[in-house]
Amino acid sequence: MSDNKKKWFTLNLNSKHKQTSSSCGCGKTSGGCNSHQPKKEELSNDAFFEAAVDASIGDERHKDGFDQVFDVKMDRRSAFKKLTASLLIGAGAAASCTSVTSSSESKEKAQIDWEEQFKGNYKLMDDKEKSATVDRLVRSYQLRTGKNINMSSKNAEEDVLFGYAFNISKCQGYMDCVSACVEENNQDRNSEMQYIRIHEMKDGKGFNFNEADDNYYHEVPAEGHFYMGTQCFHCDNPPCVEVCPVQATWREEDGLVVVDYDWCVGCRYCMAACPYDGRRFNWSKPEVPEEEINKNQHYLGNRMRKKGVMEKCTFCVQRSRAGKNPACVEACPTGARIFGNLLDPNSTIRWVLENKKVFRLKEDLGTEPKFWYFMD
Amino acid sequence: MKIHRYIYNLTYCLLIVILMTSCKHDKEHEYHSVTDKIEAESKNYKGIKTSSETFIDGMNLFEVTENEITFLIPTRKDKIKSYKCTECHTQPLAKMQTNDIKKAHWNIKINHADANTMNCVTCHNSDNMNDLKSITGHSIDLNKSYKLCSQCHQKQYKDWTGGAHGKRIESWANPRASMTCVNCHNPHSPGFDTKWPARFNTQKVKERK
Ligand code: SF4
Ligand code: SF4
Repeated sequence: MSDNKKKWFTLNLNSKHKQTSSSCGCGKTSGGCNSHQPKKEELSNDAFFEAAVDASIGDERHKDGFDQVFDVKMDRRSAFKKLTASLLIGAGAAASCTSVTSSSESKEKAQIDWEEQFKGNYKLMDDKEKSATVDRLVRSYQLRTGKNINMSSKNAEEDVLFGYAFNISKCQGYMDCVSACVEENNQDRNSEMQYIRIHEMKDGKGFNFNEADDNYYHEVPAEGHFYMGTQCFHCDNPPCVEVCPVQATWREEDGLVVVDYDWCVGCRYCMAACPYDGRRFNWSKPEVPEEEINKNQHYLGNRMRKKGVMEKCTFCVQRSRAGKNPACVEACPTGARIFGNLLDPNSTIRWVLENKKVFRLKEDLGTEPKFWYFMD
Repeated sequence: MKIHRYIYNLTYCLLIVILMTSCKHDKEHEYHSVTDKIEAESKNYKGIKTSSETFIDGMNLFEVTENEITFLIPTRKDKIKSYKCTECHTQPLAKMQTNDIKKAHWNIKINHADANTMNCVTCHNSDNMNDLKSITGHSIDLNKSYKLCSQCHQKQYKDWTGGAHGKRIESWANPRASMTCVNCHNPHSPGFDTKWPARFNTQKVKERK
């Protein structure tokens, strides 16, 4: 793929080049690989005009529509930026005699939508591009609802690897974590999406998920039962990431497995690949009442999603990267949930791993989940 | 013959070069498991910028060192409504126990160990009501009530010092602040009640029909 200088990811269905599982030769599934920064190719004015015509009149040209739009020999974003700019100049000249604020607002809205539509994959963005898209999303929300949100694009910190431990003997099945998670992460209220499942299991039968109940409604803890929670385990070798055809999901340097909701095409391969039922799909347009929206957001975390995209637990990236415990850890009244930095030898999570008998689910799959279970 | 040898040597050298360079940059498979990765990458751990300070700022916490681990816990005395106890308990307990005055603390029922094992003065110091008392009669400061609990609950105490029992306050980062025993357990009735779960998913019921 060395001749692939595009900054986006295409399927290359009919192309001669063989598709490798990663956009860069180094085979990394997380973060960017600095050695392969795609080069931006700027075009001469003539060539740009050619490209713009190519992109706009579609089928009339010799190539098929897909090739015309996406094989313009230049950075896609700058191409469309130029296009937008020229369109706006035209529109602006026409509207300048009747300039009203509302029209400039809708113009801004249109520009934001346009740029958002054609932005690159968040995984490959540099910090400037990241904060630009975040600014656009915040502004867009403001224009649409008149309300302000706070959105972060904070990157992973060096020397941090997040890990989680769950105490099976402490969990009483109260589900306070589930409620806290739904509220924190702006999950769809209509379909009652929940990242966390609490399984009620019979004592003495081990982990028997076939007989477990994750939607009980009686006083808990029930006699003769124990409880265990599952969610995305943020595997260090995540199969969900391998299968994504557009690299809309990846593992960050601090171990969080995240999804770019704007890059996801909703194919649900990742959902099928996850051995732990960690992923949730938006079958309908997710809805959260305005007054319940958590306005403290992160691009990779709890920002508003749309219909047809995948989402999942992010260990509350908007909280954890700021130093806070995830919402489930904070909400648990029994202290069954322990979260921390695996690389800090003095952290509590490390103490648990070193002093308790810990185990993980389906360890033999080699997915290396960073979510351990233990008992008192 | 010479040319054959030459080609042979060349191929051999090439092979070695390929073997040496391939997979070198493949960081993904540098470690056999995540446990190896944690071990290797934490060897040179020098601390991080993320800190709990902004979150625990203004809380009344103080530092304890238990089991060779140092961390912060919340103070207790300032959270007891009518501390100091000696404001009411002006005399030793025995002198205050008369029949004709209204009894204080009548509503406290001990639901802890059975009556053979403990009563009020097992933990409270009847001579100095402001303090707690160890089994051997030593004073224990109310802020350090965990010292009282740990007399019997050694296993929980050890897990608590490490962080496996109990809860962190607000932040996973350092400096570590953890809750102390009485922040979750009522010492007079330390068990947890059964209750209804916080939610029930009606959509799941529909889906699974
Ligand atoms: S638990 Fe599932 S969704 Fe989460 S990282 Fe592992 S494979 Fe991916
Ligand atoms: S649903 Fe989205 S994140 Fe999952 S594999 Fe498909 S494109 Fe990737």
